[in-house]
Amino acid sequence: MADVKIDHLVKNYNPGVARDVLRDINLDIKEGEFVVFVGPSGCGKSTLLRAIAGLDDITSGDLYIGGKRMNDVPPVNRGVGMVFQSYALYPHMTVRENLAFGLKIKKIDKAIAKERVAQASAMLGLDSFLERKPKALSGGQRQRVAIGRALVQHPDVFLLDEPLSNLDAALRVKTRIELARMHQERGSTTIYVTHDQVEAMTLANKIVVLSPLTDDGAASNLEQFGPPLDLYHAPANRFVAGFIGSPKMNFLDGMIEEAGEQRTRIKLDTGISLTASVDSSRGRAGDKVEVGIRPEHTVMLDDPRADNRVTGTVQVAEHLGAETFVYLEVGGKDFTVKVRPETPAAPQSQFDIGVPADACYLFDAKGQAFPRTARFSRT
Amino acid sequence: MAVTTVSIEGAGTSATHWLKWAVLGLIALINLYAVTLMYIQGETVFALVFLILVATGLYVFAAERAYVHRYIFPGVATMFIFIVFPLAYTIWIAFTNFSASNILTFERARHYHLSQTYRIEGQNYDFSLYAAGPETYRLALTAKTGERFISEPVELRIPDAKAQPPAATAPIEIDLTAIDTPPDQPPLAVKELVRLRGVMQNVVAHLPDHSDLRMSGMRQFSATRPLFQVLPSAQGGDGSILVNQQTKERIAPDMRLGFYRQINAEGEFTGPGIAPGFSVFVGWKNFLRVLTDPGVQGPFLQIFGWTLTFSFLSVVFTLAIGTVLASLVQWEGLAGRGLYRLLLILPYAVPAFISILVFRGLFNQNFGEINLLLSQVFGIRPGWFNDPTLARTMLLIVNTWLGYPYMMILCMGLLKAIPADLYEASAMDGSNFIRDFFSITLPILMKPLTPLLIASFAFNFNNFVLVQLLTQGRPDIIGAQTPAGTTDLLVTYTYRIAFEGSGQDYGLASAIATLIFIMVGILALINIKLMRVDR
Amino acid sequence: MAMVESQSVIYRKLAAHVFLWFFLALIIFPLLMVIAISFRTGNFAVGDIIPSNPTLDHWRLALGMSIIDESGRTIPPPFPVLLWLWNSVKVAVISAILIVALSTTCAYAFARLRFSGRSLLLKAMLIFQMFPAVLALVAYYALFSRITEYFPPLGLNTHPGLIFAYLGGIALHVWTIKGYFETIDKSLEESAMLDGASPWQAFRLILLPLSVPILAVVFILAFITAITEYPVASILLQDEAKLTLAVGSQYYLNPQEYKWGDFAAAAVMSGLPITLVFLLAQRWLVGGLTAGGVKG
Ligand SMILES: Nc1ncnc2c1ncn2[C@@H]1O[C@H](COP(=O)(O)OP(=O)(O)OP(=O)(O)O)[C@@H](O)[C@H]1O
Ligand SMILES: [Mg+2]
Repeated sequence: MADVKIDHLVKNYNPGVARDVLRDINLDIKEGEFVVFVGPSGCGKSTLLRAIAGLDDITSGDLYIGGKRMNDVPPVNRGVGMVFQSYALYPHMTVRENLAFGLKIKKIDKAIAKERVAQASAMLGLDSFLERKPKALSGGQRQRVAIGRALVQHPDVFLLDEPLSNLDAALRVKTRIELARMHQERGSTTIYVTHDQVEAMTLANKIVVLSPLTDDGAASNLEQFGPPLDLYHAPANRFVAGFIGSPKMNFLDGMIEEAGEQRTRIKLDTGISLTASVDSSRGRAGDKVEVGIRPEHTVMLDDPRADNRVTGTVQVAEHLGAETFVYLEVGGKDFTVKVRPETPAAPQSQFDIGVPADACYLFDAKGQAFPRTARFSRT
Repeated sequence: MAVTTVSIEGAGTSATHWLKWAVLGLIALINLYAVTLMYIQGETVFALVFLILVATGLYVFAAERAYVHRYIFPGVATMFIFIVFPLAYTIWIAFTNFSASNILTFERARHYHLSQTYRIEGQNYDFSLYAAGPETYRLALTAKTGERFISEPVELRIPDAKAQPPAATAPIEIDLTAIDTPPDQPPLAVKELVRLRGVMQNVVAHLPDHSDLRMSGMRQFSATRPLFQVLPSAQGGDGSILVNQQTKERIAPDMRLGFYRQINAEGEFTGPGIAPGFSVFVGWKNFLRVLTDPGVQGPFLQIFGWTLTFSFLSVVFTLAIGTVLASLVQWEGLAGRGLYRLLLILPYAVPAFISILVFRGLFNQNFGEINLLLSQVFGIRPGWFNDPTLARTMLLIVNTWLGYPYMMILCMGLLKAIPADLYEASAMDGSNFIRDFFSITLPILMKPLTPLLIASFAFNFNNFVLVQLLTQGRPDIIGAQTPAGTTDLLVTYTYRIAFEGSGQDYGLASAIATLIFIMVGILALINIKLMRVDR
Repeated sequence: MAMVESQSVIYRKLAAHVFLWFFLALIIFPLLMVIAISFRTGNFAVGDIIPSNPTLDHWRLALGMSIIDESGRTIPPPFPVLLWLWNSVKVAVISAILIVALSTTCAYAFARLRFSGRSLLLKAMLIFQMFPAVLALVAYYALFSRITEYFPPLGLNTHPGLIFAYLGGIALHVWTIKGYFETIDKSLEESAMLDGASPWQAFRLILLPLSVPILAVVFILAFITAITEYPVASILLQDEAKLTLAVGSQYYLNPQEYKWGDFAAAAVMSGLPITLVFLLAQRWLVGGLTAGGVKG
């Protein structure tokens, strides 16, 4: 068991030539936490994970595991276990040999090694495959061997790089639940990389959102680090707001009409005015802003909480049975709303939707969020 | 990854750490000694190369930050020694007069002259040997006056005749003391003396009066003196001028010709070169000889022309036969394709040095089976090895036989990649087998094949083994200054200049080799360009 | 090639078979001829393809046994062919093993590790392997006479020296093996390193066992190259007892002492095993040759 502390970490694969992949990353991961790294493809999630494991070296900054500086410690001595996206099972070894390889290399007592392999194999249900080669296993079985191989090392920190991405949807849900159970049982610090919102929201104690570094001006590509619901309700900026939540948040351009500590009036480019429960005291009337509204936070016009009204043209309506999504065009921008099942919405027709003031997010011209004064929940 | 590996190394116990440094230190010392030795002997180039290799090796294995380079060092070092260095050294030799007559370094030639001796008339001694154990003898000398001298038992081992180089053996110094009567045992028979002659020639006998004697006849030792001595600086010597002690003539090294020559009082060279010569830098002389000297230029151009023709025709013939056979063998409807393929590959599977020699026998004018067949059917017995045109034809026949399977194998691989529907589509258009071959198969094959064809051209350009084992370049070109034949390729030509006949003109050979390097290098560059375009 | 029109297909097939058989007869003729000659009496006699009165004399000589001719004289074997074959096999096996070892470690570094000069070295290797050793024979000779002076066991006229010289030709093999290594998932070794393996252990326990097929190909290629190599061996080796087969065989056809029959037997005896090795291995070799070729 150990905590992981990352201090001003910078990673550049080819300093001086290439752009930084990670810049000024600061993280404080507590012992036993389940932390998930999310972000668009290529933003450096795997790189950060590999830097923690010691597979890539750090360009500058420090990494501490269990309070010890680990920058120059070889992977094996960092007390980490890792599951690779491709599983990386040794093809020429049986499942048993795969599990026992690390113990053998470390010259761990045979009896203890056997015990640990047996334990892991029982826990992951691998007992009947132990003598098979990886080629003769299904995707899910391979994935469990990969987890088992990390488990037998009794790592202090468990690293997983998109471990479920090669599995089909059903197996993914099942394994996700298993992973959550395993984390509860063992309580080891776990860092997990994924693309999947649901995995992130359900598994994580805390989520790290990374963004790709595009211009050289950005100070850091760590966008936000916090509990899942904080990221959902109080995103630090437009990037996190757009990234967390599915379907994605809708954004409308406008400017501040009347700033305030509890409430803010905004004039949208479409001409209508909107009231939002946002503290805009650091802004002034006339500042350009963006309003964010989550599809699932819209209400019917007859709802008492419908403080504002937004009107758009219906593009498509998707009836999924349990819910209906209507895709609108509002002032030249896409605007998705989630409405009651079977709400009629004919294409090209006008569609009015209510937006509670508590449901609005507000971002300044740089994309930084104004603090919200209320959290909206639909029920 | 580099960071982590370093720390693993660092984690080694201190005992192995010390051992490692001790071993590295020892290696460094031994090699430093060897380098110094080479340098003193005048082998500057070799000493430098050796020093560079050893120093990089030591650095790579000693420095933690060069850990990764440890993986490549052995391989890259051997490639350096056996590819890069010989290449560079060949180019270097091309600018020297290195040859059989100028084979030594200056230091060695000087040493050779200084160790020459001459006999002083009148001071002759009869000698005899007395056995004193296995390969151990006592040397006894008797002067004309009756004085006798004898030595302690010394070992006289007959040197291994194959040892290289034989002349480098050190003199065997033997001290003698005066005695009154000869030992009472029979001296060695003449037969034994003959056997030991080689060793005895290296013996220098020291008499009590400090005179040095050397063997001067089958049974005789004589007083000798060094023939040359360095001219003392008091008499205007600068250390390079030697004085012949017998004639008092002065000689000095001519650094342009690579020989010691007699000089007159003004220090001008007057005499011819005195063997052995030494190798000196001669600038572009060898290249100028190739380009302008008629005795060299004529054969060179003729051989160059033939080399180009040979390489080009070899590629064309093997390619033509290879593609046709490959498309036949890939034809799925054809029964027994596997067997055909196996039999067709046979010439490639038999080691070339065997099949070439087999052809040499088969083409023999008098005993060869080919002429036997020809004389039975047509009544002719062509002189395959005597007529230039026939000899060239024979080379091409044999080379095609040797080379078509490789082309066939390559084409088979490439043909597999042509989609069948191309042929189906063209069959719809009413095309036929032959037209398909020229309009579909060949154009598609050509693009990936081009770099391989250039490589094949370069290979045949330098097809040493074929010519050396089949014709050795013969029949010879009349009137050539150096050994040169009508079937010689540039490579065999250089080989013959370097290793055949009496001239052994390494400098000229290397100049031609350098020209070939340039041509091959151009081909290599073209090839790399082409391959990159393909990707 | 799916033949759409089936009318003339039969004629075409027939023509193809006839052509192939005719061509094969021409191609195989020399090989059959040597076999026949090896059983024919005498060294000059000309005769039929199937010898009229076959003899095993040439084979006895090739196998190192003396024979007694009609006049009762004992004829010793002209050349130590078996010894030459042994020399060749010895040199080829040892150099092939060393070449595999050297090129594998090099290829590992080129495929997996990052170091300064990597791409430069790779390109240089491609260019330098185009220059045949024949062109630098003078330099080879000079180099080895120097080595002889300072360290005779590795010098002229020694097998270790010859093996040492053959180790220079690893460039193409490095490329071949490197290409193969790059097809193996890198995370296998990373995973091994997390499991506690040193880079060397990851290389030995994970990468090597997975690369056995390509290493076998390189071994066989290096073996065949070494066993058929002529120019360098002919410069470095001098004693009859030290020659390799490739250098020694030509002495049979010396115009002064023409031993055609003896040569035939020696050639068949020593050439057959090498040919068989090649034919057995050709399935893998052909892939390796074309891959190596196409990749350069
Ligand atoms: N070995 C490397 N050398 C140079 N650049 C690299 C290397 N590995 C990754 N990169 C670059 O670093 C950036 C981040 O890569 P990384 O694999 O960490 O992304 P990721 O967030 O894991 O993406 P994905 O979600 O697609 O897996 C990418 O732009 C990638 O091109
Ligand atoms: Mg990734």
